Amino acid sequence: MPSRSQLTVAAGYVAAAAVYIGLGIWYTDFLFSFFVGLAYLLLVAWLVPLCVRRIF
Amino acid sequence: MSWAAHDLEPYAIQRHTRIKIAFVPLLLGSYAPDLMSKWFVYGIHIGGWDLKATDPVQFHRGWPGVGFTHSLLYGVVIAFLFWRLLGSKTWAISFLIGQWAHAITDTGDTVGTMLFFPWTIHIHFGAWAYAGQTGRMTDAAAYFSGPGAVWDLVWIVYGIFCWRVLTRSYFEQHVFTADAFWSRANRIVPTAALLVAYRAAFFYGTTRWIAWSLCAHVVHHYPYDISWGGPHWVPAAHSPSLTWPQLVGVAAIVGAGVAIAFGSRHELGRRGWAAIRSRT
Repeated sequence: MPSRSQLTVAAGYVAAAAVYIGLGIWYTDFLFSFFVGLAYLLLVAWLVPLCVRRIF
Repeated sequence: MSWAAHDLEPYAIQRHTRIKIAFVPLLLGSYAPDLMSKWFVYGIHIGGWDLKATDPVQFHRGWPGVGFTHSLLYGVVIAFLFWRLLGSKTWAISFLIGQWAHAITDTGDTVGTMLFFPWTIHIHFGAWAYAGQTGRMTDAAAYFSGPGAVWDLVWIVYGIFCWRVLTRSYFEQHVFTADAFWSRANRIVPTAALLVAYRAAFFYGTTRWIAWSLCAHVVHHYPYDISWGGPHWVPAAHSPSLTWPQLVGVAAIVGAGVAIAFGSRHELGRRGWAAIRSRT
């Protein structure tokens, strides 16, 4: 079974996925490129948390 | 054509392959056949120009066209170039496996691929409709309404079942150490960002499967039809069925390939035992 910290990470990705899916339905061009998906994921799963940790 | 399967298959392949696999060329190989051609199949609008293939099916999967990118030989040629130019057998083999997985997966649709190019017959199982010529919106709606969506779902469920391949420890122990690319990248990019990049294809494949399914069935109400060759509401492109002589030819090639693979394995095993005996 996954550990508590692994589940926390997974929950973050699920939240990021929900936003991505919403954006994709609203603007389907968002869904056509892997590189757009990669950039989005780097932004929300790495860069934003990194900035938040630096600020607070 | 397949959608999310090409994003998700590399995770399963690297998990189960016994030989050393590098994830980046494996994924590159999995994307390679469509990398330069898909935009021209669907068409794009730049300024006052509309760029689109006059016969998208012929262009994407046929000859003349770029259908050779979906052949086994194309994978061998590019893998050979990787080996000679980059000096990495691991990159060459990983690319080859990824590209072959793509070419074989796409035989599942109604057009199929010229798997044994330069022999230009299309190997196709006709499980789901090929509708690339209808434009990307209709193609997406059709794919996510038919057996193709089920095929992709199998890979998503399988990926979730093998969730450990997405963990930090798996990345650090198996993916990072298998390929010098990651340590080189790590000089300028932190490990946390590389881990996110490693997970990106799984994230992308899974989320767009969900997004397209919602878009096709909740927003636009396209009907589901998961019968063989479906959905039948879309004007699918088809390749002709193979004749008996063609089937015999395909069986002969596959048989020869299997025999060579088993023969090589047997020979490698024999040499391995001989090496062990010489040491004792």
